[in-house]
Amino acid sequence: MREQQEKTRVEDVDRSFYDFRYEEKDVFRVDEGLTPDIVTRISEEKHDPDWMRAFRLKSLEIYNRTPMPDWGPSIEGLDMDNIVTYVRPNTRMSAKWEEVPEDIKNTFERLGIPQAERESLAGVGAQYDSELVYHNVRAEVAAKGVVYTDLESALHGSYADMIHEHFMKLVPPTDHKFAALHGAVWSGGSFVYVPPGVSVEIPLQSYFRLNAPGAGQFEHTLIIVDEGANLHFIEGCSAPKYNVANLHAGCVELFVGKNALLRYSTIENWSKNMYNLNTKRARVETGGKIEWISGSFGSHVSYLYPMSVLAGYGARSEFTGVTFAGRGQNLDTGCKVVHNAPHTASYVNTRSISKDGGISTFRSAVVVNAQAQDSKSSVSCQSLMIDSESRSDTIPAMDIRTDKADIGHEARIGRISDEAVFYLMSRGVPEDEARALIVSGFAENVSKELPLEYAVEMNNLIRIEMKGSIG
Amino acid sequence: MNTPVKNGYDMRINRPLANTYGWLHANVTHLSGVRVGHDVSLTEEIPEQVHSGMESACVRPDLKTGMGSDMDVLLGYSGASVRVYTVPRDTDGGVLRLHYAFPAGNHSSGKVSPEGISPDGGAKQVAFSGKNQNTVEGNMGAVCVRLEDNAVLTLVSDYVSPDSASGLAAMQTKIILGKNARLRLVQIQRLGNGYTFLHDTGALCAEKARLEVIRLILGGHHTYDGCSAALAGDKSTFSADIAYRVGGDGRLDMNYEAVHTGKHTSCEINASGVLRERAFKLFRGVIDFRRGCSGSEGNETEDVLLMDEHVRNQTVPMILCGEEDVVGNHGASIGRLDENLIFYLESRGMERNAIYEMCAHAKIDAVVRKIPDPVTVRTLFPWLCGDGENGDESAGSASGENDPTGAALSENKSAGGKDESAGSVPGETER
Repeated sequence: MREQQEKTRVEDVDRSFYDFRYEEKDVFRVDEGLTPDIVTRISEEKHDPDWMRAFRLKSLEIYNRTPMPDWGPSIEGLDMDNIVTYVRPNTRMSAKWEEVPEDIKNTFERLGIPQAERESLAGVGAQYDSELVYHNVRAEVAAKGVVYTDLESALHGSYADMIHEHFMKLVPPTDHKFAALHGAVWSGGSFVYVPPGVSVEIPLQSYFRLNAPGAGQFEHTLIIVDEGANLHFIEGCSAPKYNVANLHAGCVELFVGKNALLRYSTIENWSKNMYNLNTKRARVETGGKIEWISGSFGSHVSYLYPMSVLAGYGARSEFTGVTFAGRGQNLDTGCKVVHNAPHTASYVNTRSISKDGGISTFRSAVVVNAQAQDSKSSVSCQSLMIDSESRSDTIPAMDIRTDKADIGHEARIGRISDEAVFYLMSRGVPEDEARALIVSGFAENVSKELPLEYAVEMNNLIRIEMKGSIG
Repeated sequence: MNTPVKNGYDMRINRPLANTYGWLHANVTHLSGVRVGHDVSLTEEIPEQVHSGMESACVRPDLKTGMGSDMDVLLGYSGASVRVYTVPRDTDGGVLRLHYAFPAGNHSSGKVSPEGISPDGGAKQVAFSGKNQNTVEGNMGAVCVRLEDNAVLTLVSDYVSPDSASGLAAMQTKIILGKNARLRLVQIQRLGNGYTFLHDTGALCAEKARLEVIRLILGGHHTYDGCSAALAGDKSTFSADIAYRVGGDGRLDMNYEAVHTGKHTSCEINASGVLRERAFKLFRGVIDFRRGCSGSEGNETEDVLLMDEHVRNQTVPMILCGEEDVVGNHGASIGRLDENLIFYLESRGMERNAIYEMCAHAKIDAVVRKIPDPVTVRTLFPWLCGDGENGDESAGSASGENDPTGAALSENKSAGGKDESAGSVPGETER
């Protein structure tokens, strides 16, 4: 009995690997809180062009007049008066790990980033608190015309007009309160441009590490994949756990051109004091495709709903996600798809696990507008509850405005199926192995989509003790 | 707490147990200017075994209904009496038939404000106004059904009006089921194409009690429909089979919920319907497994056939779960007929429009056939086919509904495209 329990017990996410920190040395910090002076100071530090400074201040106005969301988990514990919105480590961004300060370099070494870069990545961006400390792209990738740089450099360089044209157009500050906050205090993040017809065979990655207690991270990722191009982008994140709240209100804007393909993978492992109020959105043109791969394991409270706008004929979106809510976590995740053109298609496949009092909510929306004739959408979500201390809610929604569409949705919630166990046992599999097999397969929808190294990392996060492992 | 205002009562109804995104405007429906002041005309067929009585005030205000507590308040303002029907212990009450006749022409029509969204982000605001503000009042009725332990009853409630009538009507049904009691509740709405109907139901089920709801929404202009079942007793069950057809500029706004607190409880909610022309429909279906309801199961499906390009369908099926040892499923299918089905039938000589009409009829027919009262079924089928008791052929044939013998198929084929035979809720009303 005990052995069976051990084989099927789902451990809490093992964060000891990530729960280390370094003392802040010679960092520059703005004051806590959110005022026009603070926003102006941030803008000065970053040498913003005039339009960006004005944009930040306008965003602050929008933030101040926009109400808090009242339909999701409580964020009462988040007090912006106690959040430091900008913390700059005492270093400049470098393209060589040797030039990165020791403690910061050690941070990323422990997280395996340099090793991953050497072995399997086309380029890496590493952000520490509010600034990028490392950014590099392989020469052969750059030779194809691929641009992978920090956003602030791009803002002042030859891509300045492109940035200006796209920045916060897909996620405007009016979208919601924390989009407005992001517009006011954003810092760091990456810009990627893939020219027409170029296929980036191995992934680019950005990793975000928030070291400072009581701070916020507001990186902005802007990716443009031009016509016929192909890119896989991976982002990861983590932070040590503190007793004070941290805030992550990043923004990801993805523009997928005609017949282009973008796969955007995320392993989110923020600490349990983090409020993760991230916004991700993709616009997909004719024949293009966006693939979201999302693993959500961290944060105290999450609002995370990657959204796809299918703007061109035949555009497609696939969303594959897994959420693991453990003790002290309230993870409200899901996705949104808007079909705005004919013959578009979307597919959503998510899994969630909740245990030890964790709360997992799957929240989705599929909107098919009148012009999206002959569009199709299929949504599937499955939830596994390990105990009765936890909660698991599914709140999908469909808004269909044309008769020429085919929409399907299914959801299931429950425990390990006794029928499935019986079936396997009738085929000669012992009961404990049968249960282990079922649980290990539950999150396989995400792990099989990740590169092997990240599937292994996800396996480490979940650390389900059983025969075999996920991925 | 809402207070009456001179020009009617402002209500927030059909609020689900959890919220979806605010920008979908599906979290609550806001009605303003609702006035009900008259009792409704009722013809009763009461079996001997059923005891009837009247109460002058809201019965069991603690019993949650699908539309919410504002309906209790509305009942209070209306002054309508509550008809109470009781079936004693260990008694089979037979079939209780209630025939509600709503009047024609009190000129009340609900106008949906084109841009108005209620401050709390609810669905578009509906304001009631009439040609004569001083005399606009609707009709309200209320029923309480009590089945004692082991009692059985079939209750058929039929809501009718002249086909082209307009008006405002409200009905509330509260149900208390004792141990092992069984209620089959059939509710058929056949109101005129100008009617706004507020239809509210709430039930409390004791151990092993069974509540089976069959609901047909076949008429009206705007229908607001709510049903809540509290499965408090172990092994109690709730099933709801809902069929609807909405056409013209009609609106159908629904909120169904099953709250599981007892162990080994089960629910099954199936909604199936057809939308035509510029119809709007919002279906909220909530299965709520509260902690302690171990061994429970809940299933919910919705199947919507969209017939015309300007329809709008919102579906929000929810499963809320605080208990590990449960199974919850929901599924929804929205859109067109399967192309393989169409191909098969076309290869047998049917025209596409006729196929759609046949399938639209089938969605209603499938639920009608579940009605456990042959008398009601015999009354209903002719009405659906256009030869009903209201004496207006347009009620049935305008829907394009085919009679069970299929004779009307030839009429539909000769009528031409499906747009001509559409308009299942006859005509459009002025907005």
